[in-house]
Amino acid sequence: MARVVDEESDEGLLLPPMSEQEEWSDVVPIPQDDGRHPVCPIAYTDEYVEMTDYFRAVMAAGEVSHRAFELSGRVIDANAAHYTAWVYRKKLIIDLGLDISEELSWVTEISRRHIKNYQLWHHRGALLVLLLDPKDVEHESQDQRVQDPAIRNELQFVSTVIEKDSKNFHAWSHRQLVVRSYGIWDQEMAFVENQINEDVRNNSAWNQRYFALTANQSADEFVLSEELADREIGYAVDKIKLAPNNESPWSYIIGLLVRHAPAMLHERLLPKINELAADTDYALAVSNTPFYWSALVDIYEERAKALEGKERSDVEAFAIEACDLLAKRYDPVRAKYWEYRKQALQAAS
Amino acid sequence: MSHVFSYGFRYDDNECETETSVAQAEVEDLVGDIYLNFVETGTLAQGGGAIDDSRHKLLRAKHEQFIHDAINGLPSSFTLLDASQPWFSFWCLNSLEILGCNISQQLRSRVIDKLSRLQCPGGGFCGGSGHLPHLAGSYGAIMALVLVGGNAAYETIDRPGMYSWLMSMKCPDGAFTMHAGGEVDVRGIYCALVIASLLNIMTPELVKGAAEFIARCQTCEGGIGPYPGVEAHGGYTLCGLAALDILGKTDLLRLDRLARWMSARQLAFEGGFNGRTNKLVDGCYSYWMGGAFPILQKALKRTRVDGYIYDRAALQRYILACCQDRRSGGLRDKPGKSPDLYHTMYCLIGLSLSQHYVGVEPKEQIADITSVYSVPVRMMQWGAMPASLLVLGLRSNVVKPVHPVYSVPYTPLASFVKHFYALPPLADQLA
Repeated sequence: MARVVDEESDEGLLLPPMSEQEEWSDVVPIPQDDGRHPVCPIAYTDEYVEMTDYFRAVMAAGEVSHRAFELSGRVIDANAAHYTAWVYRKKLIIDLGLDISEELSWVTEISRRHIKNYQLWHHRGALLVLLLDPKDVEHESQDQRVQDPAIRNELQFVSTVIEKDSKNFHAWSHRQLVVRSYGIWDQEMAFVENQINEDVRNNSAWNQRYFALTANQSADEFVLSEELADREIGYAVDKIKLAPNNESPWSYIIGLLVRHAPAMLHERLLPKINELAADTDYALAVSNTPFYWSALVDIYEERAKALEGKERSDVEAFAIEACDLLAKRYDPVRAKYWEYRKQALQAAS
Repeated sequence: MSHVFSYGFRYDDNECETETSVAQAEVEDLVGDIYLNFVETGTLAQGGGAIDDSRHKLLRAKHEQFIHDAINGLPSSFTLLDASQPWFSFWCLNSLEILGCNISQQLRSRVIDKLSRLQCPGGGFCGGSGHLPHLAGSYGAIMALVLVGGNAAYETIDRPGMYSWLMSMKCPDGAFTMHAGGEVDVRGIYCALVIASLLNIMTPELVKGAAEFIARCQTCEGGIGPYPGVEAHGGYTLCGLAALDILGKTDLLRLDRLARWMSARQLAFEGGFNGRTNKLVDGCYSYWMGGAFPILQKALKRTRVDGYIYDRAALQRYILACCQDRRSGGLRDKPGKSPDLYHTMYCLIGLSLSQHYVGVEPKEQIADITSVYSVPVRMMQWGAMPASLLVLGLRSNVVKPVHPVYSVPYTPLASFVKHFYALPPLADQLA
């Protein structure tokens, strides 16, 4: 017996098995043939066995019908990782001309129970471009596009998930898909900053900052102006002040500069870091975090490349000293890594 | 062997609590309690003491029992993994093999039977009965058949079908879709290249653009994400790096940035790895992160004497002290979580790759590294170098060495490769 909750009355309705339902009498279910002695047999519920047996039959026949569509929903709700059911369901939506917004609402509903599932997100992404062809809004301004109900709903859905699970990998990835597909870059930085304000250690948000900043241009295309660099350095240092022992802002700002403007590590980042380390409010916390010393190694190693002779070897010697400090005192779990950095510095000189 | 255990290595939140630091503190509480049990009495002072690592024991019999129980049946909660059937065989067989347990002929036959029912007429293996073929399912199936070994297993595989199906999953940008109408990410490239390199169905068309796609997935942090722009993540980093090693193109990455990000994933207090910056430790990253170091080592042309760029003993300590479930057997993500087959296998692979130094010495690396035709030779160059063996705890903890790219032991891997590379190339390969 399948227990189904009636949406209006909230009573449990007992449906008979599909084999006893008139509606399904024309279908011969296809059982799962696992052979005589299968490995790792799952103790399925009778309900699951029956619905998947009927579903196999429906797919094999290539059936396009509302009952097939409803059945796909039941299968997905029982096993959201049933990737074949999702593919079949999408085909039915198209073939039956079903309402895509309604489907997105249904996915939102079941996502409460299946939040870390690949297929659900992929389905949404595939449906979204069907609902709203990016070409149809190309001519609109970004502000106009963001107001489009399809886009607004999608961003809202992602926000809701991130609110409950701030680092949900699929959610952040999906957000990138939406932003990229519809070119709504201008609004993204505000979302990023909100998330960083919520939790300054949310690395998914910091990764998204890079995404929003560069509008996903390639490393060759994006130009980091001095103005922009100063702004980002200022922002990162402000966040470092909140909790110096937080890897994210350090990783972010060094990664950004190393990739796009290595010379600015020494010219623009170092003065700000030195200022911080000299500030009595922050000096102790900053000098105790391995990320500070690690930043110095990166900055000085890069700096040394632009120098020669004694100037160069002095800078390298300082970087090597920082590696030793890290290996022995501030970051011993990474002693082998600091040894590798030291070897590289010694080889360079 | 001793290690100074200190609460000084706990995460310093600078008195600025956020969701991240609270979650981290909770894990450290659990892990700290466990490590405290190993601190030598008499050395415990305020904040820490010397850990006695000599007592760590790999509970082989308990894990073997856990695996065999699973082979006999899984509870209904596993319905959520019903579309990942080939993986069950892979997780079970690889765990047994690494532990050095006997795998009966009967079990081997049962796996062959199971997997042959999951092979699709058009090529590729599906995740379950009636499903579309899937790249991860195909990967799991092939790896399980590697472990079963023998002609009956090898001849099960529809090699030409697999090639044409893989080509139908190939995307113009160089990546692969996981299944028809499915998602595209770096996992697909790894699965496709592992399968193709093992079955001797590598062609320039199959691999075209894949290396460049992976390179575009390296983020500013230095690690690799699933898709260009997405956050760097341990799973995708292993997939990307391993795929690039198969292709001989690890040089497309900024290796110095990758090394930095990878080494930063090891947690100072726990000793295990997390998968992303500011996330929690998880036993499965013992492979996804720990297993990436041997591949990085080769790419950097470092030697055995140089050593891996991470703390091998600390990882083993985490696996042995914190990831084993003493009551039920099996290994787990972290204390407080239940053990499962996935974590059992990946913790054991991570244990293997931290005990054994596996690599290819720089002077032996062959010159022709990017041709698809040199793949088998390069793959089989990998081997364990006993002089750098490092076994934490009892000497009996040592498990079988595995290949870091394929994550399975060398003997079954070599037999499989030998069989498939003795076969004539497919017509497509000659084209």
